Order: sequence, then structure tokens, then C-alpha cells
Amino acid sequence: MMDSGFDRRDFLKVLGWGGAAVALSGCGNTSVEDGKETVVSYSEPADYVIPSIGVYYNSTCAQCDAGCSINGRVREGRVLKLEGNPNSTVNRGKMCGLGQAGVQHHYNPDRVREPLLRTGNQGQTISWEDAYKLIAEKTQGVSGDQIAFLSGGVSGHLKVLLGNYLDSLSCKNHFVYEAIAPGVARAANKKSYGVAMPRFSINKAKVVLSFGADFLGSWVSPVHFSQQYAQFRKGVDGQRGVLVQVEPKMTLTGANADRWVAIRPGTEGVLALGIINALGTATGDIAAAVKAYDRDRVSEETGVPAGQIDKIAAMLKLHSPSLVLAGSAAEGYEHGSQNAAAINLLNHVLGNVGKTVEMTEDMPFPQMSPETGNTAALTSLNNGLAASKYKVLFNFAANPVFTASGAMNFKENMAKADFKVAFAHYLDETALQADLVLPLDSPLEDWGTQVPEYLATCAQINIQQPLMEKLHANTRGMGDILLSMLKQRQPDDYNGYEDYYGYLRSAVLSVKDALGGASVDDETFWNRTLSGGIIKFEGSVNKLSANASAAGLKLPSHSEAGGDYPLRLIPGVTASMRDGRHANQPWLQESPDPLTTIVWDSWVEIHPKKAAELSIAEGDIVEVTSKTGSIKAQAYLFPGIHPEAISVPLGRGHEAMGRYAKGYGVNPFQILDAVFDKETGELAMHETRVKISKTGQRVIVVKDEGAAGGQQMGKKIAVRVSSDDVDLSEEV
Amino acid sequence: MEKDIREDIAWAKINGDVLKSLENPRKLYWVIIALALAAFGVGVACEVYQYNTGMGVANLDNPHVWGLYIATFIFWIGMSHSGTLLSAILHLMHADWRKPIYRFAEAMTTFSLMTAGLFVLVHIGRLWQFYYSLPYPNERGIWPNFQSPLLWDAMAIFTYLSSSVIFLYVGMIPDLAICRDHLHPGWRKKLYTLLSLGWEGTDRQWRNFRVTYLTVACFLIPLAVSVHSIVASDFAMSQQPGWHVTSFAPYFVAGALYSGCAAIITLFIILRYVFKFEEYMTLPILKKTVRLTFAIAMVWTYLNAIEFASVWYGHDVASKDVLIQKMVGPYAYAWWGMIFCGSIVPLVLAFKRFQTNIPVLLVISLLLNLGMWLERWMIVSPTFSHGYYPWTWDHDQWPSWVQWGMVFGSFGWFTLLFMIFCKVFPSVSMYEVKEMVYHRSLHSKKGDTAEQGAH
Amino acid sequence: MSVTNLLDDWAKFRHPHPVDDKPHDPYKWAMAIDLDACSGCNACSVACYAENNIPVVGKDKFLHGQSMHWMRIERYWDEDGRDFPDQGVQFLPMMCQQCEAAPCETVCPVAATNHTSDGLNSQIYNRCIGSRYCSANCPFKVRYFNWYDYPTTDDVWPAEMTQQLNPDVSVRGKGVMEKCTFCVQRLHEAKVVAKGEGRIVREGEVQTACQQVCPTNAISFGNLMDPDAKVHQQWQAQQVELDKDKQAKDENEGGSELRGYRILEELRPYPSVMYLERVRESAI
Repeated sequence: MMDSGFDRRDFLKVLGWGGAAVALSGCGNTSVEDGKETVVSYSEPADYVIPSIGVYYNSTCAQCDAGCSINGRVREGRVLKLEGNPNSTVNRGKMCGLGQAGVQHHYNPDRVREPLLRTGNQGQTISWEDAYKLIAEKTQGVSGDQIAFLSGGVSGHLKVLLGNYLDSLSCKNHFVYEAIAPGVARAANKKSYGVAMPRFSINKAKVVLSFGADFLGSWVSPVHFSQQYAQFRKGVDGQRGVLVQVEPKMTLTGANADRWVAIRPGTEGVLALGIINALGTATGDIAAAVKAYDRDRVSEETGVPAGQIDKIAAMLKLHSPSLVLAGSAAEGYEHGSQNAAAINLLNHVLGNVGKTVEMTEDMPFPQMSPETGNTAALTSLNNGLAASKYKVLFNFAANPVFTASGAMNFKENMAKADFKVAFAHYLDETALQADLVLPLDSPLEDWGTQVPEYLATCAQINIQQPLMEKLHANTRGMGDILLSMLKQRQPDDYNGYEDYYGYLRSAVLSVKDALGGASVDDETFWNRTLSGGIIKFEGSVNKLSANASAAGLKLPSHSEAGGDYPLRLIPGVTASMRDGRHANQPWLQESPDPLTTIVWDSWVEIHPKKAAELSIAEGDIVEVTSKTGSIKAQAYLFPGIHPEAISVPLGRGHEAMGRYAKGYGVNPFQILDAVFDKETGELAMHETRVKISKTGQRVIVVKDEGAAGGQQMGKKIAVRVSSDDVDLSEEV
Repeated sequence: MEKDIREDIAWAKINGDVLKSLENPRKLYWVIIALALAAFGVGVACEVYQYNTGMGVANLDNPHVWGLYIATFIFWIGMSHSGTLLSAILHLMHADWRKPIYRFAEAMTTFSLMTAGLFVLVHIGRLWQFYYSLPYPNERGIWPNFQSPLLWDAMAIFTYLSSSVIFLYVGMIPDLAICRDHLHPGWRKKLYTLLSLGWEGTDRQWRNFRVTYLTVACFLIPLAVSVHSIVASDFAMSQQPGWHVTSFAPYFVAGALYSGCAAIITLFIILRYVFKFEEYMTLPILKKTVRLTFAIAMVWTYLNAIEFASVWYGHDVASKDVLIQKMVGPYAYAWWGMIFCGSIVPLVLAFKRFQTNIPVLLVISLLLNLGMWLERWMIVSPTFSHGYYPWTWDHDQWPSWVQWGMVFGSFGWFTLLFMIFCKVFPSVSMYEVKEMVYHRSLHSKKGDTAEQGAH
Repeated sequence: MSVTNLLDDWAKFRHPHPVDDKPHDPYKWAMAIDLDACSGCNACSVACYAENNIPVVGKDKFLHGQSMHWMRIERYWDEDGRDFPDQGVQFLPMMCQQCEAAPCETVCPVAATNHTSDGLNSQIYNRCIGSRYCSANCPFKVRYFNWYDYPTTDDVWPAEMTQQLNPDVSVRGKGVMEKCTFCVQRLHEAKVVAKGEGRIVREGEVQTACQQVCPTNAISFGNLMDPDAKVHQQWQAQQVELDKDKQAKDENEGGSELRGYRILEELRPYPSVMYLERVRESAI
């Protein structure tokens, strides 16, 4: 199959419109007689292509970094649909809606197809050779200190190659940036458990207490956690798991909780300590630390009724093991690290460490482990750009012009760099500011390896292989681009590799034995690896640090809201939009937000009581103003939010990035105040204070729910039953 | 007491008066034709747009899949019952006061049906394949679905239209002969000669004629009742709240007779004025028509009240919900407008003072028909906006200008057809008026003779 | 075109369901959805778009209620006047319930929607003339009409996106009604494979797109007549019978402690989809 004389590109050929035209003739809409379609004869199909029989290839989904394995259905050389790979222990054959939309990322009509060079306000097409020459030229006269490379999280061989490229430039300024990242939790986990991302086993827990961790929606590895959640609900020892979600704004996970607790924003740590106090099982310095957090004081500060605190403590005490999670809601404050530390402490006190919170295996190839992104990286980069420190800026898998807080003035600072290169799929906001835009292959037509940050069941390397031939002749894979540039700089080291595929293949084969391939020949091993899609490592697991201490735990007292900016802005992270990189995928724009059912637009969630106070009705365009800026969006009355907070979803409000993204919604990133977590320097996403005012305009909210809103009007449509009234023992 | 018609009108005068209406039209006629054409043109333009772009331009959506097209379709079918009522039903009841007015009423029936047929076509998503609903021999060997009330509609309307055309035509034959014999040569002479089928007025022909007319009349009455009952069953046979009402068939028929009568009043007043038919379309006949309308209005009101009462006191929560929505929800204005026009306004007709007051009656008859149009809309739309499934309730969608344009255009089409009819065919039945006058004069002679005999 | 032909078709496709004299054999496709597992993520809805060539209509048409999602996720709030939704929300995936006595089937004037022998409510696109009576009669309002000609509408399937279209499923033009088909194209393929091996489709061999993608395995789908099928076992365990408008278990005083139910069962469409009630812990 992979002989040198017959390469993969011959194997898969795009047969253009033939298949699509057949599909379009469904209803007498077009006709062959009219000559409106081009029917391509299949009398000589390419090898292994049997018309009407689908072929399936494994690869890795790149819509987020959870590393789910996908199985692409390919017919007549076109990838049609992605399914989950049943052999992956991350997603076990399942996917999320975001993953399904991967094909729309690939087939998107607004993809960049040619390298573009900015001249004035226009972009003119140049050849790849010229582009590489230009880059070589621009990086020639500058020192490594004056070059900056901004990327999203990277892992696998791409990370290695990128590292090598930056080394070749003597550049140590690699900024790994993710606009939405559990940066605070990572640091807190390291302190509490000894590892940045331990393994959580929701399916082994009898009670899950989540402080804003949206593990069913967008947190860490949602498809994996969703499956665990399903098992959790079926129950350990036949006892159905109980989910308690504590957060100021309801997330998808909160919507599925047995008990959703609306907490005053910022006081999550206080509640955690209050629960430890209520448990009464803590000893030593922990007991001392929580002594002052009696239930009445905690109830007062957090707004959670004392009775509720008692119930949660009672439940945790009764059912073990449990699992306590610290999510973005807890992290997003100046004292976010403290919140996370307090919450992690709860796991220690409950004895969950070693049971539902476990260590992960060591990665045998640590150089492939992901370099995870966070927001502190952007702050550093921004400071450097502002000081005109960087002459050359590379941008890959990040869109900081869109996602940076307005307070950072990133766009202006970016302009200070003399030469900016963007490796991009689309002309997004950042690419539009670049001098050179290099078009990338989509993940469905590219090679790669990926290591997820969250190791679901074992250390693993995910394989990414093309599911079809390139759609556009002049795009390149990032790996190929780096390789080409490295060949220019270090020809001796890299000329041996024909392309990135060759590089990957030889890299993998060079450790064939370590990967369990000692008994087979190279070709067989490589094919097996590709068709399996995942390289798993069995390894021993170390024990997590069981040393829990409350040392250094200092939670601030609750600060009264008030003054000019009485409300707190909670930027909502939805599973599909996330940080906005998928806003140009129409299935996702049209997929109603699970909680508000709104499509194609942004909204401001306001608690109905608060809205009544301010005389705001659904559809009123309100202006949300922070110290940093203001945005206008339609109001939506939403009971799942603390009355002292409002929420605007992230991800929309693009001013570029194609027809499906541009002009829809508003971008709350812009108005986030530049407040940072004291310990890690991460952007404190929930610390922005705002005021809202009506603009006088009103629109009809475009949403899926009808005039009845979410009411069943007395009909038995979606029925809920109390656990007391149901017998789950006979279930299948 | 005023007489329905004078007994001493000469045959020649009757001929002359009616044939005069067929003379070359005055300018106003052409103005109205132009306006009707323009209105129809608006409708055609809307349909062309909709045909090319898709039904979505009508602002129809899920769950509002039907709108003004179906409502107006029912309205026009309803209007068509006027002719049948006057021609056939009153004929069987020997109410000879119908004689001067049934001709234009029957014409109204035919043209209403032709207009209603248009709406069936514009309402379906793939108009160009409407013939799938007809049982024609096809290569797939498929019959249409005879369980479907919409298909019964198709069959019923087709039958009703063809029967009405036959009825109108057959009833006109003696008159067409008169036209043939009295009008100057030209296209008219040729047309009437052709259409009057060689009518000589012989005894045998008259006897055959009577039998035929009677037969068609007897056939037409149950047909008319069944047609509108079938249209009613489009709704009654569905289980949607607000539709699944057993009284819908008689309710619709009552409503049809109601709007038909109201339309008769309107056209009565117009034709009487335009063609100076005061001798024939007399005020006593108008009065009788008005009283008939009043009676039907009360029947309609009664059936409405029954429907509301049974929903209000019943266990069908969904239907009650829909009723309440009609009263206080987004359709409240239209619904109360219907109640006002349909049940309150006709009360005026109970007063003798107004029963022959032409301006008042003109306005009232138009209001009655407005009420009836609103009634059809109120049957169709509120159930969609507020059905069984709350998630899909939609109180925001209203018909677009495309739908209104076609409703408006349908009136243009009807007017066009009617205007042409009035100038080509006698809109008063000459031979029947002669019969009426003859019988009245016989009756009064008998009375005289009796008086004389008494002495 | 003969009367015999008419009567034959009538017997086959217009036979009122469900009945004992014509039980489903060998297939009756049915579904069970566990509302306690459903997390409301909408993956099933997006997968359905991908599998069935469903057009994205855009903001304006969505505002006009002309969206095309065959599978929609509904979200319900508790209605007891609390300040906060303390027990979360209720998600409900709703799609064509493939009713055994479907109100839509009887009213189509041209017989474009019928009941198949394997228990599906079929929609024949090229027979449909778009009268929309089926949608008018559907109590669940799960039928979606092509209000515009989406294949020729800008930005619905611009160049390259047409390559994603599933060739096993027709792309519908304007004026045609569509709805969930239980991925009939997949069922057909599975049946063809099974037939080639001289047997019927076994449990697990075919999955609908929504079932396949659901991350919490909330959807189970299969042959209700097959005792090995999970969906058969679930219906049985929940004591929900296909051909009853009121289940025996509900006749008991105080209802039943089982979770299975069907929506709008009292209207007697005999839906083929059973839902399992969402459970909420009382101790918290």
C-alpha cells in the first residue's frame, strides 16, 4: 500500500463534483438532460475506491485539544462525515457537535487558498518560494531575541519541529497562548496533587461536586467525561451518582445537576472551606484554617442557604468516593488560585485522592507532551510588543486580535512589529493584521501527531492522517512549512526528509521497538499505526501527593458590588463557540445554545428579578459597559444566573473570518478588564465589573424555543421524577 | 304590502331591460375592469415570486404551515354557496322571489369556485406537480390517497364546479335564445346561437328543460352541502386543538350560506343601481334576502356559541387553551372583529327600517363578508400558533405581503370574471322573471275573479 | 393502475397500526432515549445535519421559524416559581416519533407519507407536492418543510461544501416536506449486507447518526422485535407497549416506579420512541 512508487496521493483522488452532483439531483431539482450537472464516469476509479462503498480512516479531531479519535467516512475520495473511533479510550466511538463540524472547517468556502502578501490594504498572492525567501530575509538581520512566535497549544512532532525551528533562529520567545485555558487550575493542581492535570474518574464517584467545571460542555475533555457521566448516572454499586454544581452562571453541566447552586461570584473557595468545616473530619492545620468558616458566615458570604451547605456536606460524608472539581468559574478571579487550592483541599479531606483523583502515567516521550497554552503568555508577548522588543512576529493557531482583552491594545502593539507572519486557515482578525499570510491544510487533509493534555486512561499519542487529498492545491501543512523553513536553515539535518509525512514516518519508525513493533517490519508497523490511529503506552502510575496542607490559603472577604459598575460580567464559554475559532462553521452557528436556544447571535443573560428591577424585557438591546469598553447585545431573561451577575457568551462578534462568522454577535473579550490572578498572572476572566443600560432598541430574539419559553404548560412532555419515586433496579 | 314584482310588466319590457344591460359598456365599466386586472396582476406577480423563490416568502413556517391561502380558499368556497342556495334550495322550496336574482348568484358561485381553485394551486409547495393528486393512469401505478380530506376537497370542488357550470349554463339556455333572437348580428349573435343549442321554446323542450333543471338542482344541493362539509373535514378530521370539532361541517355550511347571502346583497345593490334593474331586483326581494341573511347569521352565531360552550366546559384543555388564545392572544383583534362583524352587525338587519336601506345594507353586507373572511383565518391560524406542543408555539409570525397580495389579487380575479359575465350574459333571468310576473298576475286575476265572483 | 392494485396498496400501506393480525416482522425500528443521561449537548442534532444533508438556513430564516433541524433539543425549566433552577433543566431530544398510527400518514393527498413494513413513517420526497397537511396534523410538529430552494440559495452549500453531502441521502429542493427517517439510508445498507448473508440485521449492526454520536449513550435504537436488542429490553423493562394508548403500569394507584413513557400518548399516535424520565436526587 505504501510503496515508494505509489504514494498515498494517487491512492486518494478527489473526484470533484461527481458525487455531489448525484446527491443534488434528489428532487428533480437539476437534471442531466438540462446539462446542469457534470456526471463523472466511474469506469476507471482509483484503486481501492469502489463507488458507493465508503472507506473509513482513523485520524484525530482537531476541533479542540481533547484528542478524540475520529473515524472519517470517505466516499469517492471525499470525506463526508466524521464518527468517533470506537478504539479510542478518550471518546470510545463518540463525538461532540464541535467534532462533527470539523468537516465544515475543512470544506469552508472562506479558507485561505494562497500565500498572501500585504501591500497597503490589499493582499496579493505570492508563491511559496517567495514567501519562504521573504521569511528567511526578514529573520536574517535580527537576533533571536527580537523574534517572537505566538501559537496555541502544541504537542507531538509538530511541537518538536517547531522547537527545532525556533532553535535554528536562536529564538527563545515561544508564547503558547490559549484564550480559554485552565491555567489557574493547572498551577493549583500542581501544588495540591503534584501534577497539572490529574486523572479524574467521574464514573467511580458517587457524588460529584463541581465548582463551575463544565465537564459535559467544554471543560478539558468533554466527550470523555460525558461517557463517564453516563456511567456515573447508572451508578456505582447500583447507586445513581449525584451531581452538585456550584457556579454563578449555569453551564451545560450545571443544567444537568441534581442540585444547581447559585453562588455569589468569587466566593467558591469560601464555600469549599465551609463544606470542609461542615464535614467536621479535617484535622491539623486544615481544621485550623477552616475553623472560622462556619456555615452561617459562609452562607452569608456566598449566598448559599445554610441548609444547602449542610445537605451537601451530609451527602459527601455519606457517599464515598466523591469527586470535587475546580472549574473556570472558580479560577477566574484575582484570588482564583486560592479558590482552586481550597477546592482541591476538599478532595484531600474527603479522601478522594487516589480514588477518583489519580496520577497519570509518565509520557515515555516527554518532548511530545503538550505545551499547554494560557493567558499569561499573551500578557508577556503583549508587553514585549508594546516595548517594541520584537521585530518579527509569527502567529499560529491563535487569534489574539480577537481574543485579547481590549485593555491590552494588542492590535496596536502588534503593529509595532516590523514583520508579521500568520499561519492561518482563514483571514481572521489576526491574519488581517499580518504582513504575510500562509494558508494551512485543514486537519482533515494533513499529517500529524497529537498528545492531549488530559490523559484519559493512559499516556498516548494520537495519529492524524489525511482523510482525503488536499482541497486546495496551494495550502500546506504546518509541519511541511516548518520543515521547508528548516531545510533552508539546516539543510544537512533536514534534507533527508522529503516532507513532513516522511519526517513523521521516520520519527515513529525510529522508536518502533519501544512502541511494541519489534516483531514486525517497518511497513507493517507503520500501516498498523496509521489504521489504529492511536499509540497507547501502558505505564505505571505514581501515587499522587497525599500531602494536603492549608498553608498559604488566604481567601479574601467578599467585596461588595456597587459603584458605577454594580454587576459582574461572566463571559460564557459554550461548547461550540469556545474562544471563537469555530464561529465560521454554520452548523455550530445554527445549533441552538442548549440553555438559551439562541442562534447566530450573542445575548446578555440577566436574572429575571434583576431584569424586572431594571425594566429590561427579552429582546431589549442593552449596552454592557466595563472600564475597558462596551458592547451592545439583546437581553435574555435567564433564571440560571446569580442576580449580581450577567453573562455574555464568548466566541461571536467576529469582524472577519468569513461569511458565517463576520457580523454575527458581539465580542465580550474586548471589554474584559485587565485583572489577573495574583499567583499565576492568568487573566481573571470573571473579575470584570460592568453596568448595563437600555438603548431603547428592541429586537425579536432569534431562538429555537417558541412562545411558551421553556414551559410545558401542564403537559407531560419532558418528565422529571424524584429519586424517591423511581425504581432503577430493573433497568437495562 | 309591497309586491315582490309588478304583475303588469310586459314581456317585451323585461327583454328590453335585461338586454340593455348587455349593451356596450360605459367608461366606468372599463375603469373597473382595469382596476380588477391590476389587482389580479398584483396577485400574479406575488405568485410568480413565490413560485420561483419558495413558499418561505409567504412568511409561513413551522408550525404555521398554512395561512391566508387556505383561509381565503375556504372563504371563496363559502361564497360559492350563495348561488346554490338561491338557485337550487329556494327553487325546491318554490320561493319564486329568487327568480330575478338567482342568475347572478349562480354566476357568483361559479366564479367563486374558480377563484378558490386558484388558492389550492398556489398553496401547495410544488404547484407544478399538482396533478399527482388526480387519479390519472401513471407508470408507477400509484393512486392518490383517498383517506385524505384534502383529496376529497379536490374531488368535491371539481365536481361542484363542473356541476355549477352545467347548472348555470342549462338554466341560461332559454335566455340565450332570447339574446340570440333580439341582439344585432356580430360576435354576440354567433356566440348565443352556438350556446343556445337551437332552443325554440317548444313545449317538449320546456318539459325536458324543467326536468333537467330540477334534476341538477336536486343533485347540486347535497353536493354543495357535502363540498363545504368536506372542506370542514380538512379541519374536523384532524386532531389538532381548535379543529377537532364535530360541529364543523354544519358550521362551515352555515358560514358558507352566510357569506354567500351577504355577497348576494352586495351584488344585488350594485347591479340594481348600475343596470337600473329596480323593477326586477325590487326592495321587497331585497328585504326577503336580508331576512334570510339574518336568519342564517343567527344560525351561524348559534353554532359558534355551541362550539365555544362545548370547548369551554369540556375536558379538552388544549382546545380551551386555543380558544382563550383566540380571545386574548395575538389574534384577539381579528377574532373580536369576526364576532362583531358576524354576530353583532347582523342584528341591525332585524330592524325593518334598515332592511331596505340601500347604503346601510351595502356597508353591512361588506362587513358581514369581512367577518366571514376573518372567521376562516381564525379557524386556520390560531391552532398553528398554539397547538399541542408548547415548544413550537409561535405568536410572532404574520402573513407577508406575498400572501396579502394574492388575497387581494383573488378579488381582482373574481371581479374580472363577474364583470365579463355581466356584459356577455344576461344577469337577470328573463324567462324566470316572466314566469314570476305571469304567476303573480294569475294570482291577482284569481283574486279579482274571486272578488268579482263574490259579488 | 387497477382497482386490484389500489386494494393491494391499501392493504399494505394503509393498514391501521398497530394490529395483531399484521404484527411487525421481522423489523420494527424503535428508539429509547434516557433523559437522565441526555446532557443537552446537541451533538445528535449536528450529526443529523451532517448525515442527512440538512440545510443551514441562516439567521433571518431562523427568525421566521423556518429552521430545518430534524432533531431538536428542547430545554424546559421547572415551573414551581423558584428563583433559581435548583434542579437543573430538562433537556428533551425531539424528532419524528415514527408513530404507528401516524396522524400525518392519513392526510397526505398524494400518499407521499406512508408506513413501511419495518415500522417507519416514510417520506417520499419526489411524490410530495407540498400541501403540508402532514405537518398541520402532526401533534409534535416535527416535520420540516423546504420553504426555499436551499441547493440554489447562496451560502447554504457554497462550493466545496457540496462535497460534504451524503450521497446516500437526497438533497431536497423547494416545496418538499422532510423529517427524521431513523437514518433509513443506514438501515437500508445494513439490510442489504444482512440479506447478502441470508439473515436479518442483528443488534448493534446499525446505528442512527444521533445514536452513534451521543457522548452519553442516551439514545438506544434497534429492532423492537429482536429480543437481543437493547431497545426491546428497555421497552420491556419499562413495561411500555407499542400498541397501547394508556400503559397498564400507569393504571396502578400512585402511578408506577418505572421511568418509561411516551409523549402525547393519549392522542393515540402510538409513537415508536420511548423516553425515560429524568431522575433528580431528592436528598440534595
